[in-house]
Amino acid sequence: MIELRALRKVYRVPEKDPGLLGSLRSFWHRRYRDVVAVDGIDLDVAAGERVGFLGPNGAGKTTTLKMLTGLVHPTSGSATVAGARPQDRDPDFLRAVTLVMGQKQQLLWDLPATDTFLLNRALFDLDHATWSRTVEELVAELDLSSFLDRPVRNLSLGQRMRCELAAALLHRPRVLFLDEPTIGLDVEVQAAVRRFVRRWNELHGATVVLTSHDMNDVAALADRIVIIDQGVLRFDGSIDALHARFGAGRRVVVRGTEQALSGLGFEADGPRASDGSGRWQRTVPAREVNPLLQEVLARLPTAEVTVADPPLEEVLTRAFGAAREGRA
Amino acid sequence: MRGHLRRALPDLARVSFAGIVAYRAEMVIWILSTLLPLVMLALWSAVAREGPVAGYDEAGFVRYFAITLVVRQLTSVWLVWALNEDIRTGRLSIWLLKPMHPLVQHAIDMVVAIPLRALVLVPIVGTLLLLRPDLWRTPSPAEVALFAVATAVAWLLNFLVQALFATLSFWIDKSDALFGVWFAAWSLLSGYLVPLSLFPPGVRPVLAALPFRGMLGLPVEILGGFLPLREAVVQVGVQAAWLVALLGAVRWVWAVGVRRYGAFGA
Repeated sequence: MIELRALRKVYRVPEKDPGLLGSLRSFWHRRYRDVVAVDGIDLDVAAGERVGFLGPNGAGKTTTLKMLTGLVHPTSGSATVAGARPQDRDPDFLRAVTLVMGQKQQLLWDLPATDTFLLNRALFDLDHATWSRTVEELVAELDLSSFLDRPVRNLSLGQRMRCELAAALLHRPRVLFLDEPTIGLDVEVQAAVRRFVRRWNELHGATVVLTSHDMNDVAALADRIVIIDQGVLRFDGSIDALHARFGAGRRVVVRGTEQALSGLGFEADGPRASDGSGRWQRTVPAREVNPLLQEVLARLPTAEVTVADPPLEEVLTRAFGAAREGRA
Repeated sequence: MRGHLRRALPDLARVSFAGIVAYRAEMVIWILSTLLPLVMLALWSAVAREGPVAGYDEAGFVRYFAITLVVRQLTSVWLVWALNEDIRTGRLSIWLLKPMHPLVQHAIDMVVAIPLRALVLVPIVGTLLLLRPDLWRTPSPAEVALFAVATAVAWLLNFLVQALFATLSFWIDKSDALFGVWFAAWSLLSGYLVPLSLFPPGVRPVLAALPFRGMLGLPVEILGGFLPLREAVVQVGVQAAWLVALLGAVRWVWAVGVRRYGAFGA
């Protein structure tokens, strides 16, 4: 469904010295600097996959997404999405994809969301019966009925994002591009959005590609993670594979006192009570988990112990760090 | 594409109308800002009280500017501001992801506003005719037909010129300010402030060849009977030539501009 070959994007950014003199000089003689946003990405995504693009700010995730939707033209390399070259913006391609931007909205601000739905029916040339059926399905799935007739400006951020998703899916696209879809939303709405996207993917087989800073988004939605940093693809695989590669072991969490666990290398995990009891954690290589557990249980036979993968944030920090070192 | 547009029109018009109703206060202020011909009407008719000016007597000036008011309302567009904002804020990206040219929706927004403008126009023109029944002139069917064509083309010319200026936003930050310079020239050379026959004879052929007349003055002169029919037909030909040139220019600049928008980061 998506095929990227040596995809590269270089922006030419104007440069100017500070101050009035700098402004005058730049007026007559503009200087430009090349900024490599995406630096030769190869990627294949099959139909129905859910892929999460992760990376720090300015890593090139959003630029990649914009190239995949045809908004940004690649400097070199090629992209094929739903059988088309995105930058040609062929009508059939535009009917096959959708882009939801957490920071930009397509809803008409002073009108109820239903007017945007009507507008999209016209723009995508949808027949009345299919459109009505889809609207009905989306209104039920996203629970929109109580605020559909209110002007968009009067809706909460969460209500607006749910309407955005509905507007973006009315033409039943085969590929969903979601750029930071949960940004600024409260925890409950974030969960609802994730549940909905997952369900839509399972029901309709639509391919989902999302970018996010929020690890929970990615953990909840994507089966496959693509890490982009400084425009380069650093990792492509499952969450388990990411843990195996950058996780550096398992995280053992014990509830107990500092005294009982002394000498075992545990660090406090949250506040401690006055007697020194609380949660303690230590990340160890997988082969050291069992000996550590035996030692802990010998000292605290009734202790509450959990063993889990380290948090995704921690894994990613390590992954980005490794990427930077590799590049340096 | 044409079939798509035909099917889409009712819904597009419905949404545009809902938008205009939502922004009705803004729209009324905008309409009031285009009532300048009433001021010019008072000014020039006062001048002509002393005696005719370049063939226009007092009633001639009143008729000219009353029709100017009507044509201005029928051919007013605000694309340069709307599109400029879309490009600067990046909202254009949303429209570029739809399988219909972004200018189509803007065009419909502006056509749908015309009936609302008529709500303001009808009482003004009605009152004027009630006070001055001598202003009425019954145009011939040929004049009416030519007026309709010239007005429609004038609307298109205004729309395309603004599209051209707005498209400059792909390169410069404030293309609407540049449009201000054009608007000053347009006000003077289109017949908006002064009937073009008041210009010196040596300048008139130049004015007839420029696009400004076809954007306002020509339909006014046709309906007011200020222009012989044969000459009017030639001028509609000039209008059509500008229409073709502008269509080509907008298509080209738009394509290059969208590529640039894509190159510099949408």
